[in-house]
Amino acid sequence: MDPTTAMYVAQGLHGLAYGMLLFLIAAGLNVIFGMMGVLNLAHASFFMLSAYFGYQVVSVTGSFWMALLLAPIATAICGVLMERFLLRKVNAQLGHLGQLVLTFGFGLMILAAVKSIWGTESLHVKLPPLLEGQVSLAGLSYPIYRLFIIALAVAVLSIMGMLLYKTRLGKIVRAAVSDAGMVNALGINIPLVFMMVFGIGIWMAGMAGVAIAPMLTVFPGLADQVGMDAFIVVVTGGFGSLTGAFIASILFGLLNSYGIQFFSQFAAVLTVGLMGVVLVFRPHGLFGAKEG
Amino acid sequence: MKQTIRSIFVLIWVLSSWLSSAQAQAPAKGFYDFKAMGDMSDFDPANPIIPTGDTIKIAVLASFSGPAALVGQIYWASALWAAHDINKRGGIMVDGKKKLIELIKADHMSKPDQAKKITERMVLQEKVQFLWGTDGSNLQKIINETANKYKVISVNTASLGDDLQDATNFSRYAFQTSMSTGQLGRGLAYYYGQVKKKEKKFYILGQDYSFGHLLGDGFKDGLKEYYPDAQIVGEDYHKLFLTDFAPYLEKIKASGAEVIFTGDWIPDAANLLKQARQMGITLPFAHIFMDEPNFLHEVGVEGTKGLTQISQYGAENPAFKTPEQIKYYKTWNDLWKTKWKTAPFNSRLFEHGTGNIGSYIEQTYWLLNVIARAQSTDPEKVIAVWEGDSYRFTNGKVLSMRACDHKAIQDLHVFEFVPPDLQKVSFNIPPYYWFQGTSAGGPTFTIPAKSVLPWMDPNLDRCKGKSAAG
Repeated sequence: MDPTTAMYVAQGLHGLAYGMLLFLIAAGLNVIFGMMGVLNLAHASFFMLSAYFGYQVVSVTGSFWMALLLAPIATAICGVLMERFLLRKVNAQLGHLGQLVLTFGFGLMILAAVKSIWGTESLHVKLPPLLEGQVSLAGLSYPIYRLFIIALAVAVLSIMGMLLYKTRLGKIVRAAVSDAGMVNALGINIPLVFMMVFGIGIWMAGMAGVAIAPMLTVFPGLADQVGMDAFIVVVTGGFGSLTGAFIASILFGLLNSYGIQFFSQFAAVLTVGLMGVVLVFRPHGLFGAKEG
Repeated sequence: MKQTIRSIFVLIWVLSSWLSSAQAQAPAKGFYDFKAMGDMSDFDPANPIIPTGDTIKIAVLASFSGPAALVGQIYWASALWAAHDINKRGGIMVDGKKKLIELIKADHMSKPDQAKKITERMVLQEKVQFLWGTDGSNLQKIINETANKYKVISVNTASLGDDLQDATNFSRYAFQTSMSTGQLGRGLAYYYGQVKKKEKKFYILGQDYSFGHLLGDGFKDGLKEYYPDAQIVGEDYHKLFLTDFAPYLEKIKASGAEVIFTGDWIPDAANLLKQARQMGITLPFAHIFMDEPNFLHEVGVEGTKGLTQISQYGAENPAFKTPEQIKYYKTWNDLWKTKWKTAPFNSRLFEHGTGNIGSYIEQTYWLLNVIARAQSTDPEKVIAVWEGDSYRFTNGKVLSMRACDHKAIQDLHVFEFVPPDLQKVSFNIPPYYWFQGTSAGGPTFTIPAKSVLPWMDPNLDRCKGKSAAG
């Protein structure tokens, strides 16, 4: 591969890697919205919280792999507790407006908590030795860690697909989304199902939080840094659609990479522009379902 | 014979010590004697002792919340140190009475509307006489405007905008003791063109707002002036707090650049360097703020070798020239080791009271020294002393205040990051390195003030007919 071709291929892979990372966040948000009708404004904050948990686990155990296992679960537990003791009550009494206010407020609480526990300075997570360095493929040298991120997102997507479409739990979840009252009448504990869905959505954001930590500094602005990109992906793909989130994530990543390559002055505008164009022609996003 | 040779060596040593001491004692109208430094044993930036009552009030305006909250903590610790020392020395005689210095934390949250609100509150409710700022030239402009409106003194120790004291924005009440973007860009161009004369291909990568662009312009101007053979092989500006630098770095890799010039500050600076090294890009960065030691340790000795920094604190090597300076350094460093237990002050970032922290401390001392010599907090008396003033840092560096536009004139210093075993050329006292887990300051080169004079606006009436040195 000549150097110019290698550069274009590498840009495509960079776009794919960042897109996949965004997908992990956006997919969790969409799972929660699509199945529970909850727009979780604290989602990016949970992503940040997981990065902090990951930092803590690495600090104590020295193992990135342990962090990747434990931190998303710890974050999901926090999410489940929020759903069980706050969101469910607010949802019953105040509906969507209450959800928005609660999740926004909870995001602020997470921010305050990480600042008081870990301070305001930038924290750092080292690359695991196994994923350091680059691989060479036909003249293209590419960082192993970015390939790992792509593989991780594919693995999470596969687990999600299997869970939703190949298990009894998945059937129940899909049935509950279609007609929660009927499923409840069959003796299935719907609040418990939704709590699990919420936990899985947060767990996905948590995976992204740990995965991104070795590439970025972990600091209290992390949620804002990535949250807006994830939000653009969700809106472009369509609220509630996993397929939409997947396609939009990849589009976002590639547009970002090749935008910087060819029109760097307008790179930041291109992704927002994509969202604008999609919304003009499809107000519910690429794969979003129309209300009613 | 042996005795004679030994005597000659002793004589040479005494003479060289005297010479370096003389250099450290370059003439200046103001300085503090650090033999008389106050008892700092109770100083802890997390638990400051701040006097109240009939005091000299200074508001420290900075981001104490939001993504840049750490920057506020750096400013706070720096300004507190100088104030604490002077308070321990008994305060400052103003208007016939000895007064202590009271610092007040003022959080502008990096937001212009909040900056306006908090600055006005500081002046009108807290009755501060001095405004100390800040991170962000857009915010410094607001502080200076407020200073001008209410006739209080504003000192800019950290914002680097060239236009802060131009014909449009000039205020008699505002003083810029910090360096500025044009000086930085030109200073690094001077270093590559007149000192190092090796690398010729540069890629400019900056943050996409006025500071990043002004800095890039300064570097390009400097290359035209000091290094006409050099080539800019690419120029990009990325959004603030960028997540993924890989697409930019891929372009840089393909451009054939030999040096990446950047003004990025943390977290962008950290993420840029980390991701470059993860991608196998080993090019050196010419930078200003890529010096936060915690992330440098993550990148390690090899990954940080060859980084080239321009500094407004530095002085010629070795870093420690006089016993007073060593006393000053050790006092800070010992407290960091033994007393400061609260984050972020217990982290490596605060290990040395030098670099940017050292500069903010010294600029605060300059303000206090001016007040002491004015013997008043009356802004007119302070202005009269500060215009045309000169002040000597503990490390011997001298700054002078250009009277017509209130900008500081100073030598700048460029140094290369070298592995720990080579850092003794700079860090000449035990343990003979700045940091063991990262490359840090080594060989240092002076950029003479006359080659990097701060930009003077020809449309500013007060400067018309004056030379560039004022």
